[in-house]
Amino acid sequence: MNRDLPIPAVISAIRPLTVDTSLVTLNTEPHHPVASSFLPGQFLELSLPGAGEFPVSYCGFPSVDGSIELCIRHIGHVTGPLRTAVPGDAAAVRGPFGHGFPLLAYVGQDLLLIAGGLGIAPLRSLLLALLAQRELWGRLTLLYGARETGALLFTDELLELQNRGMVELQLTVDHLEHCFDGPPYCRVALLPVLLDQLDLEPDRTCAAICGPPVVYPLLVSRLRQLGLSDDRIHLSLERRMKCGVGRCGHCAVGTRLCCVDGPVFSLAELAGIEGALG
Amino acid sequence: MAPQYIANHNLPLLLERLRRYAELHGPVRGEDGVVRFAAIAPGTLPDLSALRTLLPPKKYLLHPQETILNYTAAAGYQLQAEDVRSLILFGLHPCDLAGINYLDRVFLGDAPDPLYAARRATLTLIGISCTPDEFCSCHILPSPLNALSDLFLCSVDEGLIVTSGSPRGDELLDGVKDLLEEWEGAVPEDSRRFFGHAEAEQVRPEPDATLPEWQEFASHCLGCGACSLCCPTCYCFDVLEFCGLDSCSAERVRQWDNCLFKSHAEVAGGTNFRKERAERFLYRYRHKYRGFGPLQGVPSCVGCGRCRVVCPAGLDLRPLAERLEGRPL
Repeated sequence: MNRDLPIPAVISAIRPLTVDTSLVTLNTEPHHPVASSFLPGQFLELSLPGAGEFPVSYCGFPSVDGSIELCIRHIGHVTGPLRTAVPGDAAAVRGPFGHGFPLLAYVGQDLLLIAGGLGIAPLRSLLLALLAQRELWGRLTLLYGARETGALLFTDELLELQNRGMVELQLTVDHLEHCFDGPPYCRVALLPVLLDQLDLEPDRTCAAICGPPVVYPLLVSRLRQLGLSDDRIHLSLERRMKCGVGRCGHCAVGTRLCCVDGPVFSLAELAGIEGALG
Repeated sequence: MAPQYIANHNLPLLLERLRRYAELHGPVRGEDGVVRFAAIAPGTLPDLSALRTLLPPKKYLLHPQETILNYTAAAGYQLQAEDVRSLILFGLHPCDLAGINYLDRVFLGDAPDPLYAARRATLTLIGISCTPDEFCSCHILPSPLNALSDLFLCSVDEGLIVTSGSPRGDELLDGVKDLLEEWEGAVPEDSRRFFGHAEAEQVRPEPDATLPEWQEFASHCLGCGACSLCCPTCYCFDVLEFCGLDSCSAERVRQWDNCLFKSHAEVAGGTNFRKERAERFLYRYRHKYRGFGPLQGVPSCVGCGRCRVVCPAGLDLRPLAERLEGRPL
């Protein structure tokens, strides 16, 4: 595999999820590792010819038919033009890159997934991987918060999983839009507040977190209070990962590179690094 | 076997002979007075008395701006192909050799960078000893001491002791053996430099981000990025894409970037992971004295002193580094 050369992909579907976010499905070579062998939390570099390239977490489940699901917010100079792409348009992909969530270490453990905003993208990938081998893990809990109800992603899918008893789901929003009374399944509170009434066994629980940097310090201190050790807390960090292969020098966290040593780090690995949590 | 020696008066002949193997570049003083690595014109000598060139030789391996991929609708993205010409770099000081050695570790690792690898394979390095000045810190950093080259020239009275460091060096030496004599005098103890000692690489705890010095540096720094531009081991690059006028072709370009620029850590949506100049200073410090990723624990500073010479605000990280690293630098 040449890690420098993007291989061709075709945009097969773009499904708007909110006003600024879409679920983009790509198709590339069947059996290529970029689609078939990644761990949740790893990322790929997606190119839109003429616009550029950006790093993005996998949002779906590995597939041998070459299809890749990505949840994309259209706010960048490449993701912006991607909004107006149509099925059949050309793209290109490189990957998978980095280290994902440590699934092997999770075997036999209760799992607490915490997603803030677009952080649901890699955690949906993790959730799908966990559900595919449901018998390997203990309790599965997903805490998911967004700015407002209109910004919650994949709610139908998540509520159905909850109704089928596959996952314990708690949703929250920072505030309600004026015209809504708020759905019955959703609280109005900041994400870390969901941890207040959580009943968990710290010695057999691992937390997997992805969200905006602003929530990390609060989540981490709350999880520590609940008794989770730092090696049981994994966070996905965002940085400017231009090349994906550790050469461009933009994404160091302390002396570790987000693109090759991360983007998923255990809290223990980040000890003492000022600014690591954003 | 006694060391091989070439008398100074044979230097022009040596250069002419080397020119048969490849294009010859070295430190040349331009009409503007600036010393830079450039082609050594036939019949002229490089400026071997100059202590440092304005830009380090990294420009030969990583061009300031270069196309890395080409896109066409028919062929998709294709790696940029380049006619790489053989080049001999003559007169590299140990710090610049160490800089290239460091870049090799970054760009020729598990998955070599295609353009870098192609250029590096055709590059012959001929080092030369020098005498550090007050801006240099090569005499304490380990990497210049261990720097590899194809040939290394060590100044002694009236000439240069020549040693080969590679099969390519052996080949060149063989080609100029009629110019060489056996050296019967003493060889300076450290043939790479005139003084100094090696230290083992080691992993140190994180530098203290709350030190007031970071703010102090930040308040004087102009953010011009000159220190990084002229650093032999600053290799950060940005990646840009230019769409063709036909709208179905494109060119992807990488260009030198700079960790002192505010845009260096900015991501889509406007979040910036190093908004403050002090944070950017710390970032640079970590890279220079601690190393990133697979090279954690390997300082990238080779002690050439360029950053100290060019800083318009006269900033010098060395006193802080000496304190934090616990050794003189």
